[in-house]
Amino acid sequence: MSVKGLHKIIYPFAPDQSGAASVLYELGGMIIICDAGGCAGNICGFDEPRWLQTKSAVFSAGLRDMDAILGRDDLMIEKIRKASDKIDAKFIAIIGTPVPATIATDYKALRRMAEKRIGLPVITVDSNGALWYDSGISKTYLECFRRFASEDAGGIIPGSAGVLGVTPLDSDSLTAGDKIREALSAEGMEKVICYGAGSTFEDFAAAGRMEKNIVVAASGLRAARYLKDRFGTPYECTDPLAGEVRSALPLRTEEIAGKNILIIHQQVRANALRDILRREAAGSGAEARITAATWFMMDDELSEEGDFRIREESDFFELVRNGSWDIIIADSSFRRAAGDLCGRYIDLPHFAVSGHFAGEESVRFYT
Amino acid sequence: MIREPYSISVRELNEAGQGNIPEELVPASQLIYSSPATLAFNSPGATGFGVKRAGLAVPGSVMLLVAPGCCGRNTKLVSEIPGYEDRFFFLLMDESDIVNGDHLARVPDAVREVVEYLDEKPSVVMICGTCVDALLGTDWDRVCRKAEEASGVPVRPCYMYALTREGRKPPMVLVRKAIYSLLEPAKRDSRTVNILGYFSPLRDDCELYDILRKAGVRQINEISRCEDYESYLGMSKANFNIVLNHEARTAADDLAARLGIPYLELTRLYQTDKIASQYKAFAGSIGVKLDDTGFRAAAEEAVRSFREKHGEISIAVGEMLNANAFELSLALIKYGFKVPEIYSNISREDYVYIRHLAELSPETRVYTNLSPTMLHYDCSSAAADLTLGKDAEYYHPDCHNVPWNEEKQPFGYAGVTGLFEKMTEALA
Repeated sequence: MSVKGLHKIIYPFAPDQSGAASVLYELGGMIIICDAGGCAGNICGFDEPRWLQTKSAVFSAGLRDMDAILGRDDLMIEKIRKASDKIDAKFIAIIGTPVPATIATDYKALRRMAEKRIGLPVITVDSNGALWYDSGISKTYLECFRRFASEDAGGIIPGSAGVLGVTPLDSDSLTAGDKIREALSAEGMEKVICYGAGSTFEDFAAAGRMEKNIVVAASGLRAARYLKDRFGTPYECTDPLAGEVRSALPLRTEEIAGKNILIIHQQVRANALRDILRREAAGSGAEARITAATWFMMDDELSEEGDFRIREESDFFELVRNGSWDIIIADSSFRRAAGDLCGRYIDLPHFAVSGHFAGEESVRFYT
Repeated sequence: MIREPYSISVRELNEAGQGNIPEELVPASQLIYSSPATLAFNSPGATGFGVKRAGLAVPGSVMLLVAPGCCGRNTKLVSEIPGYEDRFFFLLMDESDIVNGDHLARVPDAVREVVEYLDEKPSVVMICGTCVDALLGTDWDRVCRKAEEASGVPVRPCYMYALTREGRKPPMVLVRKAIYSLLEPAKRDSRTVNILGYFSPLRDDCELYDILRKAGVRQINEISRCEDYESYLGMSKANFNIVLNHEARTAADDLAARLGIPYLELTRLYQTDKIASQYKAFAGSIGVKLDDTGFRAAAEEAVRSFREKHGEISIAVGEMLNANAFELSLALIKYGFKVPEIYSNISREDYVYIRHLAELSPETRVYTNLSPTMLHYDCSSAAADLTLGKDAEYYHPDCHNVPWNEEKQPFGYAGVTGLFEKMTEALA
């Protein structure tokens, strides 16, 4: 029995504050990471591949020990106010890290104080660094739609779709948003908004005008349900890029039939890939036994019996050891941990896991 | 709204004085912009030596990072550096650990499991704690003692406490102390010297090696050149320590107190006349005579040759390089070049150079990499013919650049010579 929380081989994934920042990165707000510096550094230097290409007002609050111990929220708000005098910002976002989590920061009070002092809309995200990126995306979507989406934005736009769960972290490509827009346009959608990839503050405000929402990662599911409740917007869970992802796998149809296959990714992509492989196997007259597993959010509605939520590294070892898998399809980061416990390992990149995209050059200033 | 980056001339900076540094240059008074320089020291996994990589300076050591997942995320970059594979382990805190500190009870078992997992017993397990434990007030010495009992190997703490960066003993000071904490009293050898301060060795061509050998030193130790744990332990025999980075002063004080090894400090400089003065004082303090004329002549020839070929060009200087940005700028100006812009954080200690800069180049503008207004810096402008430092390259991507951030550390005349060689290559 391994010690709870111990990782001997698998490195930590993108944390929730990185997920929160990834939703907000392009929206023209001031994003304040409520930290001492390292969390903001990790976001801009590692988890946010757009940092090198597009400037965004992502700042560290620069907290010091006495700020935290004495709970000097007013000092942080004053720093934000001073910066807001020099930076055009449509809103302020204060994103949590382990520091405010440890001292139990009252985010509601912080938001109220900041709005009063600064005069801009303020959202807070109670991320804590101990959860993974999808939790941060989910909370931030919800917070943005609650605060910014408006009933007064206008009527439904025919042929429009909002896409949820499409920040770079959820995906295998920096251009995933563009590819999704292309794919959905090819299916006849006239207006496609990918929230968190090429979207604007105004797009969030007009979220109620979408004819439907498409959830491409489980991180977008909670927001989709919220938008359905509030605006009646229907949603579906699907991965428009699954076909392209399938094509890139070095795996022939005849190699699938009759095989026991494990796919590890975020749940929607793993499911979509499973559907394609199953159809291929069925087309060739044989079944494939395919299990989807994820380290991230797993929604019961999207799960099949036997699907697996991995919580600990020891869970992963057990899953791989006991599964008798012929093929494992997962991010390359897990290859070493899988060792020789499966017949064949095929890479399926997931930026939030490895920090690498498929076949693209480094996206970092420091590599 | 003014959409310009904050900057100040060295003249104004000098007039303000070291006791009156403008608020815009004081990190504690503002939000911190995520510039390349900020990333390098705020996210040290990204480049160079932060606490995680530095903590593994002891040969044969491994590290257990005890933290929420976010603190270990970019460690992957360090693990991709040759020599660091399979040396990082993580004990991840969950949401309740952050508040109640339950993770601490798991540390001894986690260390034991890591030691049992490894094919070879590590020389030491470094426990890296983070901001959460800084706030919980964790007694790491006690936790490490328990882990040592459970695992049977030495366990030492190192503190990645970003919250204390501007404190009396910031993380990079304490990690330097931690990596020498395993040294035990030993019989001293009058012909052994330790060089402290960096986590990687000096350039092979550094004259300090020759100078020490000519002074009768037979064994020059640097932690990064210790091939195994035994040779690391040999550092206990040193007759004296040479501290090349002020952040190693606390470690040197500790070695002086525990092992009785005295130390003296040398500073990395790029002004050849000052290098000469420093060596003269050094020779006096260890009671030897040294002849540095050949090394000095080579460095000054490299400067002269560059200036003859390229003229009095303008050079913008950043802080992400193996130099003090202000001292290097002063050296360049004294050599006849122009320095229109410096991108650097400022400390009171920099005023020794700022005073001279104000006399020689009063209109040189100083930008701080930390200011939120650097978001407005126009990276398409051509402020100089050449930029020095990785951060300066970011601000002027179309300029010729010398990052000057190599792992092997430049020092003394060899540093000057090496820099001008690189500058020549960049403009070739």
